[in-house]
Amino acid sequence: MNAVRILSPTLLLVFGLAWEAGVHLTGVSPIVVPPPSAVLAVLWDGLVQGWLWQHVWITGLETVLGFALGATIGFLCGLVLGEVDFLRRLLWPYVLASQLVPKLALGPIFIIWFGFGLTATVVITALICFFPLLENTITGLQSAPPEKRDLFRMLGATRLQTLLRLKIPSGLPIIMSGVRVAIVLALVGAVVGEFISGGKGLGASIIAAQGMMDSTLMFALFILITLMGMLFYQIVVLAERWLLRGWQKGNEQ
Amino acid sequence: MAAPKPRQTGWPIMPTDAASFLSIEQVTYAYPGERPTVERADLALTPGAFHCLVGRSGCGKTTLLKLAAGLLLPTAGSVRIKGEPLAGPSQKIGFVFQTPSLLEWLPVLDNVLLPISLKRRVRPADRGTARELLALVGIGDYGHRYPRQLSGGQQSRAALARALVTAPPALLMDEPFAALDAMTREELQDDLLRLTRERGTTVLFVTHDIAEAVYLGTDVSVMEQGRIRFSLPVDLPGLKGAESRYHPRFTKLCHEIRAAMGLRSEAAA
Repeated sequence: MNAVRILSPTLLLVFGLAWEAGVHLTGVSPIVVPPPSAVLAVLWDGLVQGWLWQHVWITGLETVLGFALGATIGFLCGLVLGEVDFLRRLLWPYVLASQLVPKLALGPIFIIWFGFGLTATVVITALICFFPLLENTITGLQSAPPEKRDLFRMLGATRLQTLLRLKIPSGLPIIMSGVRVAIVLALVGAVVGEFISGGKGLGASIIAAQGMMDSTLMFALFILITLMGMLFYQIVVLAERWLLRGWQKGNEQ
Repeated sequence: MAAPKPRQTGWPIMPTDAASFLSIEQVTYAYPGERPTVERADLALTPGAFHCLVGRSGCGKTTLLKLAAGLLLPTAGSVRIKGEPLAGPSQKIGFVFQTPSLLEWLPVLDNVLLPISLKRRVRPADRGTARELLALVGIGDYGHRYPRQLSGGQQSRAALARALVTAPPALLMDEPFAALDAMTREELQDDLLRLTRERGTTVLFVTHDIAEAVYLGTDVSVMEQGRIRFSLPVDLPGLKGAESRYHPRFTKLCHEIRAAMGLRSEAAA
């Protein structure tokens, strides 16, 4: 267990060093494959001088807004479709079809509707986050075991009480796994959305760097996006652990 | 000279309907398109009786229990509580399921308070009642834990406390101890007997274990293919407690029931 903890970062270090050595030994052009040392130097430079932060802020904002919007609407629609059988059967084919439309392909039309910049990217991100929450909420609501439903009937619970106090909490593990999928997709959606809508942000910066053939900056941006993704994911995992504290076995800490 | 009390000279086994707390009259239940799982079943529980229902898996005993609870409504016949026909789940009845069915996201104390908190705001007095009940079922120190942190037996105890928190006059139990080890089961049986007798609770207890039925019950009925085949009162005068399990009369009753169920018993031969 402890050995793995040491070994895992060592692996990254070894990989980085091998890359660095490979670039110098083969003499490949830094425009094609930049050495890690140069990438880290650009990243350090950008963060210390501060010009990278505004892009981090914009992409972060788009991710969080898009995620909040899409996940909330997905959850609420999931509640309605999960509770009303008739609506679920009526609307499901259309919901599914809407998911099969590649949402990034909708980017150009959103730019016509919402203009270049933040709004179009947030809408694309929200659309991407919508489905995992919708689907997992519907599945989650149906996961309450029959005995517990009978228990709530025996206790004379209303339909709303059964939803709020049995079905939603029972489905929470499934709903939260949808949240985890959504937050990862949200960052991808925001970055790729910026490819299309341009302006500011890490995705837009990648396109700008491509225009200047600055692959060193592109790699620096990749690292930044990955770190942001890990941060968002960890926040969700911590929230999940807190929400699902009752599900953990063993003794209290 | 006082007028003679008719009940003393009446039938000791099957009480008249007027005296029964819960009565099941000619009840039939069939799932749509299938042959009936319960067919013309009759059962009457006097207040304070502990009635055990034994039968093989699939004989319809769980369905009959759900009918008695109002979770299912009979296709024919009627279920009455104090003479009133049952039209749905009744608040006068506590139900204990095969699995403890505790809510994983609530501490044990809040699980016990669930029947109250679904009806109204929980008062400090209710918390006191719930704590007392947890102590009575032997898990007084576990109120703040989550269900997953409890053993199977402790979870069953919590489920029992939850069923008793509203002090229902009747308790319906569906093989609640079937998943427990023998030692824990015996402890829980004794705790259940003590609690229900103190409160005068009427109990209908479903089990597939003949010895459990004879040990717990004041009456035992055998169910087979949706019908109640056989009922007998358990008279073990002054013999409740661990030693009664080994009394010859206890064994004899078990054999009688085995015979009624069509089981061959080697010892009886």
